Amino acid sequence: MKKIIIITSVIAVIVGSVLTVSSCKVSPRVSMKSGAQIWGENCIRCHNGVSPDAFSDAEWEVAGMHMQLRANLTQEETRKVVEFLQSAN
Amino acid sequence: MKRILLVLVLFASLAVQAQDSLSTIARQALQNYKTLKPGKSKFMVRGFFFTGFDAVDVEGTTDFGFIGGGFSPVLLYKQSDRLFFEAELEGEYGGDGFELGLGYANASFILNKYVTVRAGQFLLPFGTFTEKLHPAWINRSVNAPLGFGHDGIAPSSDIGLELRGAFYTGPLKLNYQVYVVNGPQIKDGSIEEDEAGMLKFGYMRDNNKDKTVGGRLGIFPFSNSMMEVGFSTMIGKVGTEGSRYKDVTANLYAVDFSLVKDLNFMKSVVDIKGQYNYSQISSAEYLDFEDSLGGFYSFDNISNGYYAQLTVRPSLIENKFFRNLELVGRYSVLQTPEGALWEQNPTQITVGLNYWLDWRTVIKFGYQTTSGLGDHDSGETLTQDMFYFRWAMGF
Repeated sequence: MKKIIIITSVIAVIVGSVLTVSSCKVSPRVSMKSGAQIWGENCIRCHNGVSPDAFSDAEWEVAGMHMQLRANLTQEETRKVVEFLQSAN
Repeated sequence: MKRILLVLVLFASLAVQAQDSLSTIARQALQNYKTLKPGKSKFMVRGFFFTGFDAVDVEGTTDFGFIGGGFSPVLLYKQSDRLFFEAELEGEYGGDGFELGLGYANASFILNKYVTVRAGQFLLPFGTFTEKLHPAWINRSVNAPLGFGHDGIAPSSDIGLELRGAFYTGPLKLNYQVYVVNGPQIKDGSIEEDEAGMLKFGYMRDNNKDKTVGGRLGIFPFSNSMMEVGFSTMIGKVGTEGSRYKDVTANLYAVDFSLVKDLNFMKSVVDIKGQYNYSQISSAEYLDFEDSLGGFYSFDNISNGYYAQLTVRPSLIENKFFRNLELVGRYSVLQTPEGALWEQNPTQITVGLNYWLDWRTVIKFGYQTTSGLGDHDSGETLTQDMFYFRWAMGF
């Protein structure tokens, strides 16, 4: 019973947070970032910066989605990074 | 006049033929394009490999040799913009030859831009080392810090359901993971008596009806994502249903830190990472196998450990050789419960020099010394020194 209360509370907090966050505005400093800038800031948090020619355009889509999930990138960050890597490829 | 007409007819005939040929080439090119054009479903194989050489000295007894290495292919499958599958196979040469295991296998569904649902076996977001930093080509050191991996106090992977996502509130970026899994199990000593009271992670079949809940909250205080602080927890019953340990619970906590910064005055990139793990298991009595009268013993089942790692790479200098060098230093400590048969309190120092052949291939040289009360097999204070060489490649 205690577990159910904890799980329910956690889900309620998440749903509440999501609703709150969705009404928040992302700062212009963040929203104006280019794909190259996001790429430069985020990849090196775990590994070296990735060369755009390491993978094909189609592979970047897969790798981008993988990193969105693994490295907790936002959807917008992922889209910009993948577009940058594909354009520089 | 006839000649002119003849030439015109001939020219027209050649032009029609050329147009036909061009149309055929265009049709073929279009066909080839359609054949090669990737569909919405995309598949990719990534992973890593490592091999190397160790020279290990334990209290004056030296052993050295090549290590077989490990090979871990990661299968990635993007079914659509919302559906994703990933699996990692772990292959390694051990004492019994080549061993193959499943690191993780899970499917994700991106519900909306704030929430992704994941189910299956996944690496637990308990801190960052296990989930993000463990692959040999990402880990700057030679091995996992104390407290991770076999006989560690930090969980590795489990089976269950997870919600995760990331979002901004102004300049602040937050990311979260919340999960429900089968959970770790407590060892009662019946298989290995000197491991009574230790947690076993990654077990495939649940031993009770209670599920373990946990999560991690990561905060990026600065808009450039250079620094992250994370807080993790995992709570659940770990005893087998119907056993004398059925009410034993485990509370695990971790704090992690990461800072990656270009330092222009040093023309280098500095990377500082660390994680503190704390494990508290409720008290229980374990059978004393050395007591002929069948007595029990107990201990305060609290463990903790941490690591701090610094790497410096002069990436911003012009000389190609020197900018591929990287210095690494790591300090790691583990303290397991006093009075337990698996009591140990080792301290480990690692210093190394890495050379990057490209962004995902590294050669590591270094020295590691570990001292303190040794593992539960010996129960003695030990000092182990190791010189290592590793070649790690991500692909």
